[in-house]
Amino acid sequence: MTEATHRFSIPANVSSASAHRTPLSARVKAAVFFVLLTALLIIYSLPSVGVILTSLKSNAEIGREGIWNLPDTVSLQNYRDAWVDGHAGKYLANSLKVTIPAAAISILFGVLTGYTLAKLPFRGSDTLFIFLVAGLFIPPQVVMIPLFRMFNRAGLYDTLWSMIIVHIGFGIPICTLVMKNFFATIPTAIREAAIIDGANELLVLVRVMLPLSLPSLAVLATLQFTWIWNDFLWPVIFTRSDDVRTVMFGLASLRGQYSVAYGTQSAMAIFASIPTLVIFVFFQKYFIRGLTLGSVKG
Amino acid sequence: MTRASRKWALIFLAVPVSFYIVVVIYPLASSFYYSFTDWNGFSEQYNFVGLDNFERMKTDRLFRGALKNTLVWTVAAVVIPTSIGLLIALALHERGLLSRLYKSLFYLPICLSLVVIGQVWIWIYQPGFGLLNIVLEKIGLSEYTRAFLADPDTALESVIAAWSWQQVALAMVIFLAGLTAVPRELTEAAEIDGAGYWRTVRHVIIPLLRPASVIVIALSVINSLKSFDILYMMTRGGPFHSSDNLAMMMYNESFQKYRMGYGSAIAVVLFLITLVVIVVYFRQQRGLEQLYD
Repeated sequence: MTEATHRFSIPANVSSASAHRTPLSARVKAAVFFVLLTALLIIYSLPSVGVILTSLKSNAEIGREGIWNLPDTVSLQNYRDAWVDGHAGKYLANSLKVTIPAAAISILFGVLTGYTLAKLPFRGSDTLFIFLVAGLFIPPQVVMIPLFRMFNRAGLYDTLWSMIIVHIGFGIPICTLVMKNFFATIPTAIREAAIIDGANELLVLVRVMLPLSLPSLAVLATLQFTWIWNDFLWPVIFTRSDDVRTVMFGLASLRGQYSVAYGTQSAMAIFASIPTLVIFVFFQKYFIRGLTLGSVKG
Repeated sequence: MTRASRKWALIFLAVPVSFYIVVVIYPLASSFYYSFTDWNGFSEQYNFVGLDNFERMKTDRLFRGALKNTLVWTVAAVVIPTSIGLLIALALHERGLLSRLYKSLFYLPICLSLVVIGQVWIWIYQPGFGLLNIVLEKIGLSEYTRAFLADPDTALESVIAAWSWQQVALAMVIFLAGLTAVPRELTEAAEIDGAGYWRTVRHVIIPLLRPASVIVIALSVINSLKSFDILYMMTRGGPFHSSDNLAMMMYNESFQKYRMGYGSAIAVVLFLITLVVIVVYFRQQRGLEQLYD
């Protein structure tokens, strides 16, 4: 482990193989550092731990002892309540019905624009790229009122469609950015060889380029899924009825209805967080790569 | 480019670009248009009122409060994620196996929704059950206990602290990625020259982290300007509008009071502030490109 032997004046790792060779004072320092870091981590994790603990307690116990201690008895009643009385299942289904098509179509659009801008440049294509990416910076509130009016007129107010459409639109900038940057790294010779062999651009894109771009597609899939799933603004603006409520809106309205049902709320919060936690655990590499785009080189 | 490729370029771009124009650009332009009207949200009739909506902001106490809070939030967004995020990133960078687990646990808030985060932090700030009040009580600072979110003096700061919990994690991730690009030889050379850890950080590592810092600051400032979810969840801008920001006020004016014209004018102001941030950001970026090319 070369990292562990790296000589910074704050010693690297207490449990490193070379620990027996480092002087005692350095080892004490390392231990203190480790303890402080662990303490910081525990404090930092308290909010997350609080939700989990609360979800496992009965409401009677919460009323008696509050929410910030270990449960006396572990109960799954809150999860049952959130599922049956809180309609968690319906809300989760609605969130999936919005998130999956919106993420998939925005990525598809990003593939199309990204490929064209990177491999089929024309006069003005650089300007078009900036135009498409500029949307990254537009606060969604700025377009809220006109979209509200547009969806009302089109009869899409209070439907899942309104959210799908707006998430596709606001997904185009990031998807264009990531895919264009990716396609720019693929040698043009690959495309030209396929074209000479008689393929058209669509075939080149589907047969040659897409298989190469799987990692970038994974980056976008994790990012888009997480952002769209966690969104709360659009459901608040574009929906009213319970039947089209997404899980985040459902969770927020649970607070309004039973403001003391902490147990049910925390179980609902956990249901609502499971999909993004799954992505976080299994696809962390891609998710982090997406978050850190451009941070290494300006 | 051949004629055939040109045809394909057009086919590939047609739907995505039209979609983007209809859903993002056209509404953006419409917001400017509505900001000069007194539209109420329902009726098909409305009047042009020129700059009345903007004139009105000058004397609107609520607008001033919301603007001030937005700026406070922006300052916090520049300072908190960069400093704490960088410290945690430095603490976790190149610390061996265990730090991988620690990193994951520090990352965690990023994948949580601000609705969930708002929910938990309400429980931290609560007067009776709240963790913060329990801790203050235990360490003998009971005169500071209060209903943090119901108190106009602390509501905004409390929401910003909760929001920062996630932003710090995001900043940390970006700084950690930036740190992997800092050449080991440079930090080692500085150490051999007897620079010591903190001087190495200050004079070698931080300058090399400039690209990452620019991104962290830009991201968190833009996130702060948009922030709505967590505020809606925790205080709805209250008590007595003491924690309103522009995004919240815009929502209230448009969707609670049905003053869509005035709401649009606030949206325009929000957009113009964002535009200033973007211009500064791209200036910095261009400066960086010259620095590294």
